[in-house]
Amino acid sequence: MAKAKYKIVVVGGGLSGLMATLKICEAGSDVDLFSYCPVKRSHSLCAQGGINACMDTKGEHDSIYEHFDDTVYGGDFLADQVAVKGMCEAAPKLIKMFDRMGVPFTRTAEGVLDLRNFGGQKNKRTCFAGSTTGQQLLYALDEQVRKWEVKGNVKKYEFWEFIKVIKNKEGVCRGIVAQSMNSMEIKAFRADTVIIATGGPGQVFGRCTASTICNGSAVSAVYQQGAHIGNPEFIQIHPTAIPGSDKNRLMSEACRGEGGRIWVYKDGKPWYFLEEMYPAYGNLVPRDVASRAIYDVCMNQHLGINGENRVYLDLSHIPADYLERKLGGILEMYSEFVGKDPRKVPMEIYPSVHYSMGGIWVDRLHHTNIPGLMASGECDYQYHGANRLGANSLLSAAYSGTISGPEAINWAATGDRGSEITDEELEAARQACVDQFESILKMDGPENVHRLHHELGDVMNKYVTIERVNQDLDYCLEELKKILKRWNDIGVTDRGHWANQEAMFVRQLRNMILYAMVVTKAARMRDESRGAHFKREFPTRNDERFMKTTIVDYNTETEEPMVSYIEFDHSLVKPRPRNYAVAKKE
Amino acid sequence: MINTTFYLRRLHSICGLLALGGMLMEHIFTNSMALGGSAVFNAALETMELIPKPIFLGIEVGLIAVPFLFHGIYGIYIALQAKNNTGSYGYARNWQFLLQRCTAWYLLVFLIWHVGYLRIFTKGISGTPISYELVQSYISNPIIFVLYIIAMFAAIFHFCNGITTFCMTWGIAKGPRIQCVIDKLCMLMALALCLVTVAYMGSYLL
Amino acid sequence: MAEQNKQTVTFIIERQDGPDSKPYTQEFEIPYRPALNVVASLMEIQKNPVTKDGKKVAPVVWECNCLEKVCGACMMVINGRARQACCALIDELEQPIHLAPARTFPVIRDLLIDRSVMFESLKRIQGWVEIDGTWEVKDAPIQNPYTAQTAYEISHCMTCGCCLEACPNVGPQSDFIGPAPTVQAYLFNLHPLGKFDKEKRLNTLMEKGGITSCGNSQNCVQACPKNIKLTTYLAQVNRDVNKQALKNIFNK
Repeated sequence: MAKAKYKIVVVGGGLSGLMATLKICEAGSDVDLFSYCPVKRSHSLCAQGGINACMDTKGEHDSIYEHFDDTVYGGDFLADQVAVKGMCEAAPKLIKMFDRMGVPFTRTAEGVLDLRNFGGQKNKRTCFAGSTTGQQLLYALDEQVRKWEVKGNVKKYEFWEFIKVIKNKEGVCRGIVAQSMNSMEIKAFRADTVIIATGGPGQVFGRCTASTICNGSAVSAVYQQGAHIGNPEFIQIHPTAIPGSDKNRLMSEACRGEGGRIWVYKDGKPWYFLEEMYPAYGNLVPRDVASRAIYDVCMNQHLGINGENRVYLDLSHIPADYLERKLGGILEMYSEFVGKDPRKVPMEIYPSVHYSMGGIWVDRLHHTNIPGLMASGECDYQYHGANRLGANSLLSAAYSGTISGPEAINWAATGDRGSEITDEELEAARQACVDQFESILKMDGPENVHRLHHELGDVMNKYVTIERVNQDLDYCLEELKKILKRWNDIGVTDRGHWANQEAMFVRQLRNMILYAMVVTKAARMRDESRGAHFKREFPTRNDERFMKTTIVDYNTETEEPMVSYIEFDHSLVKPRPRNYAVAKKE
Repeated sequence: MINTTFYLRRLHSICGLLALGGMLMEHIFTNSMALGGSAVFNAALETMELIPKPIFLGIEVGLIAVPFLFHGIYGIYIALQAKNNTGSYGYARNWQFLLQRCTAWYLLVFLIWHVGYLRIFTKGISGTPISYELVQSYISNPIIFVLYIIAMFAAIFHFCNGITTFCMTWGIAKGPRIQCVIDKLCMLMALALCLVTVAYMGSYLL
Repeated sequence: MAEQNKQTVTFIIERQDGPDSKPYTQEFEIPYRPALNVVASLMEIQKNPVTKDGKKVAPVVWECNCLEKVCGACMMVINGRARQACCALIDELEQPIHLAPARTFPVIRDLLIDRSVMFESLKRIQGWVEIDGTWEVKDAPIQNPYTAQTAYEISHCMTCGCCLEACPNVGPQSDFIGPAPTVQAYLFNLHPLGKFDKEKRLNTLMEKGGITSCGNSQNCVQACPKNIKLTTYLAQVNRDVNKQALKNIFNK
């Protein structure tokens, strides 16, 4: 008997979306793959440093348990431990799969995969392809999906924007509405299961290390349709980024992994403050710890370079040919964008918004609370708890795709999907989106959408990043409400129906503002310090009150977020204080 | 798998290099005899006449005319596929790429005239044998002289640059260093051949 | 004059409303700031879409994602040359800065172009390693680290299209597949599993519009923003197809 064929819609063609797509194709079903851009240009390719997997090929007796424990500990005990364990166990198999697919991993002299150090882990555990690991992994999956495209199982809708999901009478997700970014055509698509894999919401913060396409608009859209958002307040600030006016460009943690040192001048002498503050891990403390230290040195001790918010990241003591082999790509990038050679002079860096640990709440099989709608990749909240370890993002993205893909088929086959969606329902959903878009085209106020986005970024960057203060967060929420109101006063200059990027951005911006409120409100409510979330008023972790998953729901009437907390599984490792000044004790 | 395109391209390459290149070298060699004066040049022509007529004609048709027609006609097709952009990308090799095509167009027209007039009309139809004196009186016309000298330069460049691209197309010279060395050697050879050409053509005028 | 140039940056942008519309140019002036690049400038224009002579216009349409020179999206013709707009620093460009779409590809709108032909080419050359599936099979084969390094270099190709735009033999007038896809075929031929399909890829490249259309202008290697040694690998593929041709003749 031939296998039943289902139609799965995957929104987002990054590492997770492509991995899910592959799994679905291998199970014999069809995928409609939607993406803002050719999937080969997805943001996964910006990941530089590597992907964690316990390969244990460096004589360090690394173990999967150690990887699991590092991840949970690094995440300050807020991640679902069973889910994390699954991920760490699968990691070495994923690496072998990628290797077979042709990822040009950096190799040792005898031809096996080389491993490097990364933050928050004492063992060498990070597989890497120079300093462009994400690019290489993404390309491998892109190539495999292309194979399935040739076979006819995948239909790509590139340059299509996801607008919203379509639910049937029983509230089960049965399709999506999307818009072509060129022809502006809005269409409804049927689906047996929908997987959202649209990545992080970096653009909510304006300048960040994310691509311009990472605006979290899709996540916000499903949030407004009833999906829970989990742990959104946990926004990772990457300690080492090149500050820029258009974006902050990431300078990989691999720099520190390969021996880079962070310092500033103090009393006329270099002060390696991370090494001094955290002797056990030194420059390789997790990102939240490093970011806070740099923030403290610059903002409170006023020791930034020339009084500006910058510190040195120094590689100049490492031999140039070694650097070339291990970090070539990113050093070239620094030279190109800054005009100085990091092989000779220390780089100037500052922390920047980088990754969202939180996102759409999912269960361990990546179902959201909306039946038929799944989420995987950075846009879900699983695996990283309160802080993500470097090189775990590529892992979680790829791994979550291996779960969500097969499960999408399983749901399509056995889930309680309720009534078939009718043509009328599809048309109604489509028409609502058409009406919304047409009304955007008519907007005629004094505000410019891009300037408003800039303001949103400024507010979020100022109040909701490294140090959070309740009073400021309250103020920030008020500001966000004002910005949301001002959104109505936007005027569009482009009223055409062809490749109208401005009008689409107007729609995205509204989603971004609503998501900004989610992050801010959740941050306001969590009165403790945990992982990336730090409040001076509440400097310690409060397991009793807050070792819980934050759940944010959309209030359709007030348009405001509603915060609640639920329990999660932390049965495997007993929580212990997180202290990187001393070696980790299990 | 037949891959007609592949074989046509390679044939185009090889007949340009061997047949037409050989023909060019023969011309330069024979004509350089003019440096020795009328007697030497005419003697060289007479030596060639020793080849039995049917064989000579066979060579002319099989090894020259057919390869030329193929190289020329297929070359037109190739040249038409280029949008030249030396304005934006003024690298040496891009100029060579452009010159390769410019010289081709010039030579195409020139050779029709040259072969048509000297080989087919003068030698073939009128039956006048080619001699030092004939050539001398022919190119004493300054316009013809200039057109001929341009044609020789064009042919020499086209041939020498053709050797460079031949080495790339056939995968003989792979790395940038060897490609650069071959390019320079070929251009030096072109220069030398051009000088020889100027010398013997100039000698007619003295 | 020089003083004035420091404070503002002038752009002359070639615009086009749709695929079949006629192109026209508009001039924009934006405030100068250090380390400004072309994408950041275009973003500035989005915030205030007014031409130099004060006309309010629709903001310029273009494509960009990563702004770190890895995604390949923002390729356009800047002062006559194809390159990534995100790393085109204003300080290093002659003003007024001319921006135009890469017309080797169909223009969608303004600077936005349709590069789907490049992705189609990757299908044509079978640009993937034929694996049985994503499931566990056994250990992946050990690879020569030097070969892997070459593969890594080629695998940086971000399908931006600079080499195609710079190549005089690629464009609407020709069916040449272009340097990038040809060299990608070599990438897969290098892989210990990918090389099983080497013959297929080479035979594809021997077809019409394949590597034989390369005219050795060598612009590609100059234009490649990732410094991939394209001409070297093209010569290698040339060598490989010649060997393949002999096999095709004598082995069957």
